[in-house]
Amino acid sequence: MHATICNMIIDLVHNSIEAGATEITLKIEEKDSNLSVVIEDNGRGMNAETLTKAMDPFYTDGQKHKHRKVGLGLAFLYQTVEMTHGTVAIRSQEGEGTTVRFNLDPSHIDLPEFGNFAQAAVAMISHGFEGDLTIEHSVNKKSYTANKAELIEVLGDLSEMESLILLKQFIEENEKDILDCEAIFPVIHPEIRNQQSTIGNFNERWAIYGKNDT
Amino acid sequence: MAKMTLEDLRKLREGKKAEMTQRDSSDKSARIIIGMGTCGIAAGAKEAFDAFLDELSSHNVTDTKIAQTGCMGLCFSEPTVEVEVPGMPRVIYGNVDDKVARRIVKEHIIGKALVSDHIFDKPAADIIK
Repeated sequence: MHATICNMIIDLVHNSIEAGATEITLKIEEKDSNLSVVIEDNGRGMNAETLTKAMDPFYTDGQKHKHRKVGLGLAFLYQTVEMTHGTVAIRSQEGEGTTVRFNLDPSHIDLPEFGNFAQAAVAMISHGFEGDLTIEHSVNKKSYTANKAELIEVLGDLSEMESLILLKQFIEENEKDILDCEAIFPVIHPEIRNQQSTIGNFNERWAIYGKNDT
Repeated sequence: MAKMTLEDLRKLREGKKAEMTQRDSSDKSARIIIGMGTCGIAAGAKEAFDAFLDELSSHNVTDTKIAQTGCMGLCFSEPTVEVEVPGMPRVIYGNVDDKVARRIVKEHIIGKALVSDHIFDKPAADIIK
């Protein structure tokens, strides 16, 4: 399986991009006892037979790499869900698109760490595909939305360094805002904040953005 | 902690634009292309991407573009990164972790010298020292 949930999310969003999607929506909801992720696209979609095959790590449609015999994106998702007793549902219609929806228990011992979502979001938004991507990320009651088209309108070409630096700053500021544990739990004891919980280890994720306040 | 809005971002961008007009905007930009297939992601391409961004930013290198592609077919040496610098051979580097990404910025993009011990494709062997 992927080392982090963020890596798995990027991989699944890239599936949507490779399916020719022009509209992709990624919703991540982190609550007390559940991590919910929904990726919805309007790409080419799959029929029931292809969808069943896509769960097999030794199946690929052969379009991307003629001589390859593996396709690991969805297989990694199924493996993670199976190993951590989560749930997954994929709805796909040929010519209409695909929706991948999964729920994971953040306290499960075998669940990979969540990872650095700011890095993931910058990589996904700055991907040069011809289409739009909307990311909605919420942690308990705090949330933010980042839309690729709006960000291009403000920043210009997202492969340019100046734009990428500002994009990173924008995403990191918003990640810091929703991970602000003082705001979520103003009186919680530091030792408790260090424990693994719904949104992972608060302090580790907070420290990613240079704001470890303990 | 206050949330950053698109309007805040727009103001920052306008400030940067004013700075950019002061600079010479020669069309000699380098390009970094990072392989972001499943293999690349699993091997740390996201971290390499972030390291390039951070290192270029810390050296104030603004005339470089960063793009992404899928698997380059060199899964055994992921993360793989293609680097194009005007006047230099185009190369594909392999096993580009955080440290190697920072070396590529300092030695190849700024110093104009190939990071020979991480080249996995091109140029021909006789020009790799």
